[in-house]
Amino acid sequence: MATPETQVLTENEQLGNINSDYTERYGFHDAENYLYKAPKGLTRQTVEMISDFKSEPEWMREFRLKALDYFLARKQPTWGSPMLAEVDYDNIRYFVRASETPSRSWDDVPEDVKRTFDRLGIPEAERKFLSGVGAQYESEVVYHQVHKDLEAQGVIFTDMDTALREHEDIVREYFATIIPPNDNKLAALNSAVWSGGSFVYVPEGVHVEMPLQAYFRINTENMGQFERTLIIAAPGSYVHYVEGCTAPTYSSDSLHSAVVELIAQPGARIRYTTVQNWSMNVFNLVTKRAVAYEDATVEWVDCNLGSKLTMKYPSIYLLGERAHGEVLSIAFAGAGQHQDAGAKIIHAAPNTTSNIFAKSISKDGGRGSYRGLLEVAKGAHGSKSKVVCDALLLDEHSRSDTYPTIRIGENDVDVGHEATVSKVGEDQLFYLRSHGIPEEEASKLIVNGFIEPITKELPMEYAVEMNRLIELQMEGSIG
Amino acid sequence: MPQIIEVCPLTELPPGAVRLVEWEDLEIGVFNCGGMVYAIEDRCTHDDGPLVEGEFNQEACTVECPRHGSLFDLKTGKPKTLPAYVPVDTFPVIIDEETIKLEVE
Repeated sequence: MATPETQVLTENEQLGNINSDYTERYGFHDAENYLYKAPKGLTRQTVEMISDFKSEPEWMREFRLKALDYFLARKQPTWGSPMLAEVDYDNIRYFVRASETPSRSWDDVPEDVKRTFDRLGIPEAERKFLSGVGAQYESEVVYHQVHKDLEAQGVIFTDMDTALREHEDIVREYFATIIPPNDNKLAALNSAVWSGGSFVYVPEGVHVEMPLQAYFRINTENMGQFERTLIIAAPGSYVHYVEGCTAPTYSSDSLHSAVVELIAQPGARIRYTTVQNWSMNVFNLVTKRAVAYEDATVEWVDCNLGSKLTMKYPSIYLLGERAHGEVLSIAFAGAGQHQDAGAKIIHAAPNTTSNIFAKSISKDGGRGSYRGLLEVAKGAHGSKSKVVCDALLLDEHSRSDTYPTIRIGENDVDVGHEATVSKVGEDQLFYLRSHGIPEEEASKLIVNGFIEPITKELPMEYAVEMNRLIELQMEGSIG
Repeated sequence: MPQIIEVCPLTELPPGAVRLVEWEDLEIGVFNCGGMVYAIEDRCTHDDGPLVEGEFNQEACTVECPRHGSLFDLKTGKPKTLPAYVPVDTFPVIIDEETIKLEVE
């Protein structure tokens, strides 16, 4: 039997193995050759300075300042996670500029920054299988490119700052209509200091066959990254947008707080995939919301591996008849992590359908929570929904919580909810070991089987990366 | 049965002004948008926020719920932004000899 000392040693060894190659692959940082780095803290001057830097129209400046008032008036939320109390808004830099303008050629991106994205494999992925790429470094997008044939079809894929300059009418019509600035404290913060992010417009009937990808990178310490993304899919169009993110590991915290708005017009389909792998010192507090009109489909594929605390509940409002919504969510919580993830779906029209499949894995004292809302409004007759949330606990120190809310305002509906919590079973391990598979390998196989229904929905390249990341996190998990 | 209730003389609700009226268990917000008067139930359909306490834009003829920011069109009661998606009830406004009256039911 292990003594307390050897138990501690084993746990420390395990801690050392979590994301064991993170520093090498993602956790490095570059020299800071910045054009501008704001002092820490949030003031009215900071917000005005961001607006001045971007030479914005007056209505956006007013929008930001009003949002700042909302942010300051709202108290820090107390639900979700006790870790929220640790967010120190005064110890964050709200704007850091690394390059003058977004470039359409990697050759024009500052050398250090380009090297970072090379190490992360972005230009290579762009050449191989993407329709377009946006790369954000600190507060702003440094590179943006989209295939010429898509541009010829009228597809707009650009960074949000450029969109505000070049497509102001469309931006003004849709911006903040899905997530208004006073929706919640973090949405107010983003609205006040937003910078970067993507703007996508897909014209009627156009199918963007290969994904568009955005990559978000934090480099400096105590950084706040507040990108703003707006995707509009016109009737009958299709687009798949993929985002990834990483940051160096520091001893003090950074904050990432995005706002993402999706609009799927009648018959359109938007798939939005996230592979979140922030370093363990990043608070990831994000608001994501979509609307789907008649016969439209919105899918969120949401994978959360990194960050100290993630609070994120992608939502879909099914506003038109026969609209469909789908949320596939994986969360992996290791030592020191709380993944508070989930989904919200609102059936606001008849004969709408939805699925939520959420899976969480907790190990080494990590905490995985599922928090979800399923609402069927009065009049949304004939609606169908299925919610399945499964949790896998890899040891007795870890924790899993499920907070499902279901509100049904209509009689003629079909709603199902299933939830399971399981441990990696001795009998499963025994079975695999009896076939000559070592225990650690057997454990990985069980975890991969658990998440497979979701990873199979990822494009192949991301599924491979996802499996690799999960395997890394699993190393040393058999103590 | 519809009923007519008196709100106030028109002079007491100039353009840009708002007034809260109570009738039975209903609370109704009355708004003067640049000379045109509109009335809506004073309860956001998302989370019951008190709309008369929100920001009133008389040029756009909208009010923003102070609780989560949904923007309502005062003419139709329809939300122009989420998170509300159900319209608030509207009430016909009658100007009778310089007095604002509402038709309620």
